[in-house]
Amino acid sequence: MSERQFGDAVLSFDNVSISFGAVAALTGISFDIYEHEIVAIIGPNGAGKTTALNVINGVYQPTDGTITYKGEARTRMRPYQAAAQGIARTFQNVALFKGMNTLDNIMTGRNLKMKSNLFLQGLYWGPAQREEIEHRKAVEKIIDFLEIESVRKTVVGRLPFGLQKRVELGRALAAEPEILLLDEPMAGMNLEEKEDMCRFVLDVNDELGTTIVLIEHDMSVVMDISDRVIVLDYGRKISEGTPEVVRADQNVIDAYLGVTH
Amino acid sequence: MHPELAFAIEVLIAGLLSGVMYSLVALGFVLIFKASGIFNFAQGAMVLFAALTFVRILEMGVNFWLAIAVALAVMIVLAVVIERVMLRPLIAQPVIILFMATIGLNYFLEGFAQAVWDADVHGLDLGIPDVPWMSLLDSTNILISLFDVWSAVICGVLVLVLAFFFQKGRIGRALRAVADDNQAAMSVGIPLQQIWAIVWAAAGLVALVAGALWGQRLGVQFSISLVALKALPVLILGGFNSIAGAILGGLIIGATEKLAEVYLGPIIGGGIESWSAYFIAMLFLIFRPQGLFGEKIIERV
Amino acid sequence: MTDRNQSVADTFPKLLRERVRTGGDRPAMREKRYGIWQTWTWKDYEGVIRRFAHGLSDLGFKRGDKLTIIGDNRPRLYAAMASAQCLGGIPVPAYQDSVAGEIQYLVEHSEAHFIVAEDQEQVDKALEIREQCPFVQAIIYDNPRGLRDYDPELVLSFEALEERGRQLAERDPGFLDQAIDEGSGADTAVILYTSGTTGTPKGVVLSHENLLVTSRNAAEFDRITPDTNSLAYLPMAWVGDNIFSFSEAFVAGFCVNCPESGATVMQDMREIGPDFYFGPPRIFENLLTMVMIRMEDAGWIKRKLFHYFMGVARRAGGRILDHQSVSLWDRLLYGVGELLIFGPLKNTLGMSRIRVAYTAGEAIGPELFDFYRSLGINLKQLYGQTEAAVFVTMQLDGEVRSETVGTAFTDVELKIAENSEVLYRSPGVFQEYYKNPEATAETKTPDGWVKTGDAGYVDEEGHLRIIDRAKDVGKMNDGSMFAPKYIENKLKFYQYIKEAVTFGDQKDYASAFINIDLDAVSNWAERNNITYGGYQEIASHDKVRGLIEDCIAKVNEDLAADSHLRSSQIQRFIILHKELDADDGELTRTRKVRRRIIAEKYGTLIDALYSDQQHVEVESQVTFEDGSTGSLHADLKIYDLPGLKPMHESLAAAS
Repeated sequence: MSERQFGDAVLSFDNVSISFGAVAALTGISFDIYEHEIVAIIGPNGAGKTTALNVINGVYQPTDGTITYKGEARTRMRPYQAAAQGIARTFQNVALFKGMNTLDNIMTGRNLKMKSNLFLQGLYWGPAQREEIEHRKAVEKIIDFLEIESVRKTVVGRLPFGLQKRVELGRALAAEPEILLLDEPMAGMNLEEKEDMCRFVLDVNDELGTTIVLIEHDMSVVMDISDRVIVLDYGRKISEGTPEVVRADQNVIDAYLGVTH
Repeated sequence: MHPELAFAIEVLIAGLLSGVMYSLVALGFVLIFKASGIFNFAQGAMVLFAALTFVRILEMGVNFWLAIAVALAVMIVLAVVIERVMLRPLIAQPVIILFMATIGLNYFLEGFAQAVWDADVHGLDLGIPDVPWMSLLDSTNILISLFDVWSAVICGVLVLVLAFFFQKGRIGRALRAVADDNQAAMSVGIPLQQIWAIVWAAAGLVALVAGALWGQRLGVQFSISLVALKALPVLILGGFNSIAGAILGGLIIGATEKLAEVYLGPIIGGGIESWSAYFIAMLFLIFRPQGLFGEKIIERV
Repeated sequence: MTDRNQSVADTFPKLLRERVRTGGDRPAMREKRYGIWQTWTWKDYEGVIRRFAHGLSDLGFKRGDKLTIIGDNRPRLYAAMASAQCLGGIPVPAYQDSVAGEIQYLVEHSEAHFIVAEDQEQVDKALEIREQCPFVQAIIYDNPRGLRDYDPELVLSFEALEERGRQLAERDPGFLDQAIDEGSGADTAVILYTSGTTGTPKGVVLSHENLLVTSRNAAEFDRITPDTNSLAYLPMAWVGDNIFSFSEAFVAGFCVNCPESGATVMQDMREIGPDFYFGPPRIFENLLTMVMIRMEDAGWIKRKLFHYFMGVARRAGGRILDHQSVSLWDRLLYGVGELLIFGPLKNTLGMSRIRVAYTAGEAIGPELFDFYRSLGINLKQLYGQTEAAVFVTMQLDGEVRSETVGTAFTDVELKIAENSEVLYRSPGVFQEYYKNPEATAETKTPDGWVKTGDAGYVDEEGHLRIIDRAKDVGKMNDGSMFAPKYIENKLKFYQYIKEAVTFGDQKDYASAFINIDLDAVSNWAERNNITYGGYQEIASHDKVRGLIEDCIAKVNEDLAADSHLRSSQIQRFIILHKELDADDGELTRTRKVRRRIIAEKYGTLIDALYSDQQHVEVESQVTFEDGSTGSLHADLKIYDLPGLKPMHESLAAAS
């Protein structure tokens, strides 16, 4: 494979801290995410990985420090604003609309791409219908990409977990995000499903150029697909670098073996 | 036609016609329930508020259609205000809290409506004569009020428009998404607040139409808010989150209510129209608690 | 014009020109992409085929070269097949689920220098065998996903090759037509590798003439029109798909529909509603299972209706389909059923429009077969082989039976050999096994008869009935056929019989060893208040003997009704004292009877069956579950079937 090319820093954490009451979830975290790369955030349970993801997409506001996104320091931001600015995500336990079918679920991901006002949509049927068709096309490309044609009209609550995860990825992709946050995309999957998911993540990164930040427990997956790894432990960053560097880092080994500081 | 048969058909049709109206009121509940999981206790008060607003504007000598437009505008503003003042601060609170809030809203609206306007009985004439449909009577010997037919048509059209609007396309999808998981809906950028405002505005529209139609029959007065109670058995029958269920449930309740009154009433002792619907609802609660079309919870295998 | 246009086209590329001339705007191929069915007309199809053929030629593909094709049913893969044929080359389709090793064998054996692979998965396999097959010059893919970083010298996109073809066509416009004109009907059209249960795969060489003549006959037989729609969902490497989705489509000019993916076949079938359908019994069985599961989940009204009307259908459906007399009442009920149940059900199955459907490949259960026919679906059986370009026998409308496979197909001669093996000769008979003259000579006689390896007979109505594999069939002393596996399967159909071994080859009469099914028999014993100590005791119980005897009597009844198997009625039997066991070498691990070992081990028992002894003592070695061995002694009774016609009478009846 040719040498991978990355762009400028698209997202930066500068000394970010967040605490809930007396509990410090993240302490003085700083890192940069570069365009087009795949970054994995790893760490033992309770290290603050999901918190970090939640801070990126605006679920939590940092108590201290600054986050710079696309060159602009960001203050308060709500999840839907994050979504509007090109940050899409999936959830550890899958947060799909379980009563809706695959197609409709992914269509909701297009919501931000729809121009006309929600209310006018209902009244002006003609243009709204044309817009609907445009979006349907985009969604069909995603369905093709993720190879979920066979469950297009299946209510997602009936799908096996592995497929639900794939549909959720589809919904996130439908927003055509610049940064894709994946919270344990392989959790609860069998080996084959994991391999498929790895392939999709790599393909998204490769063909769409999407920057990907993921949390994952399966180390072989992390080492296989990430360009860079950030290691958190007890809310602090203890290591950062290529998979090889991180794997050899004594701090990381200690953290995983449970050595106390 | 045989007079007995004609009479039976007459009763059935009358029942179905009033059933359409029940469907409409039930739809107001269903929309809000689907979008937020809230049983809107204030739906009856909204009917009163809408009807009173409409009739008082009419009494000021305003043109009929303009009065409708103004009353509708008031209901939309009300919906937006409710969303801002009541729902938004309560986001992510347990459903029971929101339900309590609608009880508060109910009393507030009842009081507010009667304070702003007044508590008298107001006659309302929509220009639809409440007389038998003569040509039908002549040809088939079936006696049906023209007013019932008209109000059924109006309600029917409204029900279909709303059902279509909230079932198809983007709004329908957004509504279902919000109904399904409103946290996830927000994360994909569906504006929850906007959806809620739209749904409450639709409920306001429903309230206005129901209030006006009932207003002509009964006069616009406090008791009109009790219309909402008629929707309760319909909801139990049709399921709280099914638009189709609201439509069919209304028709069934309307028809059985009238048929029971006429054919069972004399045996049991009369006056069963007021409670037979609840009896049917109770049977449903026992045998099919999720209603005719209510969604069963899907468990992942 | 030239006589090229007047004579019947003798190769597929020539036939393609005819298709375009007589109906170029008719649909030829449909494929679901991005959720929408996209159509190729015959003109479009030809365009792709010609461009791709030019492109192949530009790569150096020459007359006689082989082109391996691996992938799901995709229009472009069918086009690639025709493209190779345009240049006088030979397509060699491979099963898409083959592992790299299998593909390596096929590529090496057929010396295919070019590979068309559907997607990354298949390209990866092709690349994996590159070291062993360095002669592979190009791998051409249809779906570009994930293939961006592959070596562009070796791995090319279908579009890229079409583009090269377009340029070559501009430089040398007459080239391709000349290549097509050089082809003749005797040229090889395709090599199909048959998996075969034993040994290495054999490459069946079929000429253009083989395929065209049989396809023309088949299209005529079923009155296939250009308006027909079929669904291409079976492996392209299988002769059935080659005939039904390629050859017959070219001959009749109908439209072939390719599903979106393997997983969407059911939905796609519902949308297309094919009127011509082909499936192995397994598929019909899966569909039935699916229907039954859905019905069990349905509400009770629906379930009741379903069962009631299926009863009506079993009574009347098949007869209506065969234009036999049915009472007015049943006809009326069937009409109501069609409205309420059969119609919606057929729609769900995607079978509303089916005019004719075939099943072949293995025996189909009568219940299964009748289920579809009773719904009004004209499901028929055919008997065929790759070596025959499919068709050997087919069922005519009105002559459909579940136990026979029909009469000899157009231009097919049929004969039954001395050892009951079925032989045929037809215009579809394959040329040879590629590079395997020994196998060819073994299968095909010098005067063109092909041995099927199946044993069977032709019944009074002229219908072929397949009984068993020929190698498993023996002969009784009166000269009639003895098919042990067939009888054993019939016996094992009864729940009380777990295993059966029958004897009759070179004997005067048939006899059997029976293993009782302990679960079923002990259950039965409990219900009938029979107490017993252990396996041996229950197996030798007199009432159990009656139970087994009833089962055998029923099998005998069936056999007696069959003029060819009448002599195989079981006269004597022994209920074994122990279960036949794979640990004792009596069964294979897949629970198939090892006849030779049993014959050796229980020789005394067999001898006793063919003597006038009424009981026999036996000492046998057993392996216990902990692996230790021991011996088991038993005194076994030999039972005679009462009331069976004396031997000489049944012999008289048979002759």
